[in-house]
Amino acid sequence: MPSAAQSPGVRKAVVIGGNRIPFARSGGAYTKSSNQDMLTAALDGLIARFGLQGERIGEVAAGAVLKHSRDFNLTREAVLGSALSAETPSYDLQQACATGLETVLGLANKIKLGQIDSAVAGGVDSASDAPIAVSEGLREVLLDLNRAKTLPARLKILARLRPKDIAPDAPGTGEPRTGLSMGEHQALTTAQWKITREAQDELAYASHRNLAAAYERGFFDDLLTPYRGLSRDSNLRADTSLEKLASLKPVFGKSLGAAATMTAGNSTPLTDGAATVLLGSEEWADERGLPKLATVVDGEAAAVDFVHGKDGLLMAPAFAVPRLLARNGLTLGDIDFFEIHEAFAGTVLSTLAAWEDEDFGRDRLGLSGAFGAVDRGKLNVNGSSLAAGHPFAATGGRIVASLAKMLHERGTVDGRPARGLVSICAAGGQGVVAILEAYPSAEGEQV
Amino acid sequence: MNGTAGQTVLLPEAPSLSKLYLNAAATAARRRISGTRPAAALPGARHELRDVTADVEKLTAFQHLLGESAGDFLPAGFIHALAFPVAMSVLNRDDFPLPLLGMIHLENRVEQHRPVHFSEALDIAAWVENLRGHRAGTLVDLVADVRSKDGGLLWTGVSSYLAKGFFLPGTDTNSVQTNRADAPFSPPDPTALWTLGVDTGRNYAGVSGDFNPIHLSVLSAKALGLKRSIAHGMYLASRALAEVGPVRSDAFSWEVAFEAPVFLPARVAVEISTARDGSGSWLRSDFTGWNPRSGRRHFRGVVATLE
Repeated sequence: MPSAAQSPGVRKAVVIGGNRIPFARSGGAYTKSSNQDMLTAALDGLIARFGLQGERIGEVAAGAVLKHSRDFNLTREAVLGSALSAETPSYDLQQACATGLETVLGLANKIKLGQIDSAVAGGVDSASDAPIAVSEGLREVLLDLNRAKTLPARLKILARLRPKDIAPDAPGTGEPRTGLSMGEHQALTTAQWKITREAQDELAYASHRNLAAAYERGFFDDLLTPYRGLSRDSNLRADTSLEKLASLKPVFGKSLGAAATMTAGNSTPLTDGAATVLLGSEEWADERGLPKLATVVDGEAAAVDFVHGKDGLLMAPAFAVPRLLARNGLTLGDIDFFEIHEAFAGTVLSTLAAWEDEDFGRDRLGLSGAFGAVDRGKLNVNGSSLAAGHPFAATGGRIVASLAKMLHERGTVDGRPARGLVSICAAGGQGVVAILEAYPSAEGEQV
Repeated sequence: MNGTAGQTVLLPEAPSLSKLYLNAAATAARRRISGTRPAAALPGARHELRDVTADVEKLTAFQHLLGESAGDFLPAGFIHALAFPVAMSVLNRDDFPLPLLGMIHLENRVEQHRPVHFSEALDIAAWVENLRGHRAGTLVDLVADVRSKDGGLLWTGVSSYLAKGFFLPGTDTNSVQTNRADAPFSPPDPTALWTLGVDTGRNYAGVSGDFNPIHLSVLSAKALGLKRSIAHGMYLASRALAEVGPVRSDAFSWEVAFEAPVFLPARVAVEISTARDGSGSWLRSDFTGWNPRSGRRHFRGVVATLE
């Protein structure tokens, strides 16, 4: 089966660049900033960087995982508050932590099909300014009260209120069907794949070290706009050490006794932030003299049956990646950069372990043996969510913009365009993955 | 001429507006008791406050209340609020001849020359000028300018106040032509409808620091002779500026003339119309606000490019 990118009549969608605001630990610099504020700030930085003031973009899509119902048109409102033309259409998308990557794939597909010539993909989340709902009891009373016509009827409804109904209902990261938090779910998976504490701490350490080095050499200079006094991700600990990480107490999986290995250091913190990615057709970029960093080659979504423990909650990418690579005639050995979102260090390591496992490859992926091993030297080379933080819907945009720049810097590998894989796990047992290639592609160079 | 011409008074810190209002009330009482007739001249002193930086939490609250995008650059109305205590301290001088309390803000003109980042240290200066007669009293301009540390002019505001029923010897009551009421106002089709709660004045006082009692509550407004509290003029003007939106150029002027006060709570019908040049570049946005029931105009103004 030919991939979408290879089909005749389908043009290329290129990543032109990206912009995000630094990510802030919740309760920090962005405590009072709303999702709309942060998305607008990221968008305005993108507009300024690429000279898009007053421009009518084909479509803008973004989303937030923790979203107040009044923000039903969050992306459109951000566009109206930005310097883009007010005639730019927009829509909201929500696929938990995969939101940002899914906006990239959906908009890239529209560009490939010729429906639009340009697009901005993105996402935002605030754990600080999270919406709080009233309790179910109070909500029902308020709705019934609104429908009641007479005073006695209203009083009768009010009499149903109980003190416990006044307590607000704050959002959490718990799975509705299991009652387990995401961390508790991952703790089960981490234990199942026998991932050690040391391995998780090493991954977290590498994430901080790599992100700090990327900042030091100016990698983020054209990927980031300072906001509210922050010019770097506030979670980044350039001076962290394996000893410091080893000293932290486990926070998830404590009911597993000795097997509890997940700490605040090897799990992502709650974070506030926003990220955007500018996409376009080759012609649209050329007409404006804009860079073409990478092409969006293909994407794949997967979901697992985590509810009764068949697979771990965050293991969907372990299935999505083999399917995506097979469809494109690729193996793990053909990938030059792996961007595997670090929801928890255990998530990344469980996924890698599953791919290296003979039984998993044979029984679950339908292969003749193990899917393969990821060259750790190609994994999250500029750091990932453990260091940068993870404002849920913003992570996809962060990764795609950074990866596109890395691919552009690398150019070609063995005469073919450098190739990157993005893998993002999401609540609900879902995952979205994608392949990007450096631009110009091999064919492009021959012209 | 007067003895304070050219004098610069360097303020050690931002004056407390609540203290200024208290002092103004005391001054008014003192003048009433002693029967002092103030001089018909303005103090020539400039009051300056240096190295002012915005409080980012107040900035965010201001942006949220007025409907501005909560970016890192200061809304022109926020700069007005930063300069306001300095400006008020000039009106609060013993040698300022008009009674501060009860003065009516008639017009405001701001020129903003470039965007100002919230972290930028600002030097603020304020003075009064252009004392003149008006058929209903005496007019004065309160001027503030805001400069960067290299002396570059960032923002200038001219607020025209009317001391109603207050006539000074030597000012010509006919010197100001008032043609504002000349053309009868017929309301256009609104582009927006603002619903202003009774707490609008308190909310704006909270983000701007302007705790003038006429805006805070029915009781405090009644104490100053109003039937109910009224919305701050600069709230209305800042909200109109926010609704003009990011279409405005980096350098712009922003003018407003206040007519009938907005008694709270209120609904205000608003029309904003935008003019562009032949190439589609923004030139100006005119705004008007009126009472949708009576059709009386509350304010009108324009935001226009300075480039």
